[in-house]
Amino acid sequence: MMNKNKSIAILNSSPPFSSANGKDALDIALIFGSYEQDTSLFFQGDGVWQLINQQETDSISMKNYLKTFAALEFYDIENIYVCATSLAQRALPDDFHIDNVTVLNSNEFSKELHCRHIILRF
Amino acid sequence: MQTLAVIVTTPPHSNLTTTAIDYIDCALKNGVKIIGVFFYQDGVLNASTHLSLANDEYQSTKQWQRLHNGNALPLYLCATAAEKRGLGDELGDNKQSNINNEFILSGLGELVELSSKAERMVQL
Repeated sequence: MMNKNKSIAILNSSPPFSSANGKDALDIALIFGSYEQDTSLFFQGDGVWQLINQQETDSISMKNYLKTFAALEFYDIENIYVCATSLAQRALPDDFHIDNVTVLNSNEFSKELHCRHIILRF
Repeated sequence: MQTLAVIVTTPPHSNLTTTAIDYIDCALKNGVKIIGVFFYQDGVLNASTHLSLANDEYQSTKQWQRLHNGNALPLYLCATAAEKRGLGDELGDNKQSNINNEFILSGLGELVELSSKAERMVQL
């Protein structure tokens, strides 16, 4: 029997397609979710690009792993936070390809992140 | 006794891997029990039997072997990350392995177990 004694933050700061970091982070999130662990996702820096709507990957011969984000809700991963400053610095709108995304300013983002027991970053 | 689990995501030639090994050594020296090291992403390359590091460079493979043999430290590899990088224990017609004996092929479920059992989990 697995304890459910810790909260896990997965911190994404890499853009979606130039490395496998985003996909590797999502795989970890889904596994923690399937074991019913208290899992939250955080996006900051270039990681915010992972949430932006209407991305098309056929032209760069990539599998679009962003579609798998839709599965998060089935694993009860409902806490998804994005840093407002990172969005603003990149002039990105808060138009995301999944629901349930909470936009937080840097202070709130930091507070949420630091109340988790474990932080894994990709 | 305090318990710790460590995640390594960097390859054997990275200085961040050296940092991970130093960190583990220091924790052990201070009486922390390390319940396992989990290798993910390029970290799985640390298990390859085919590494050839120059003599005058840091020998990370030997250090992992030393840590495992001297402290019964379990070294877990993410199987999916390993396969993507050409590592396996049943390769070709002869079912050969190119993973060092000290490492155990496992899955991400092991990572969840480690996170649940250890008081602390640190990623390097």
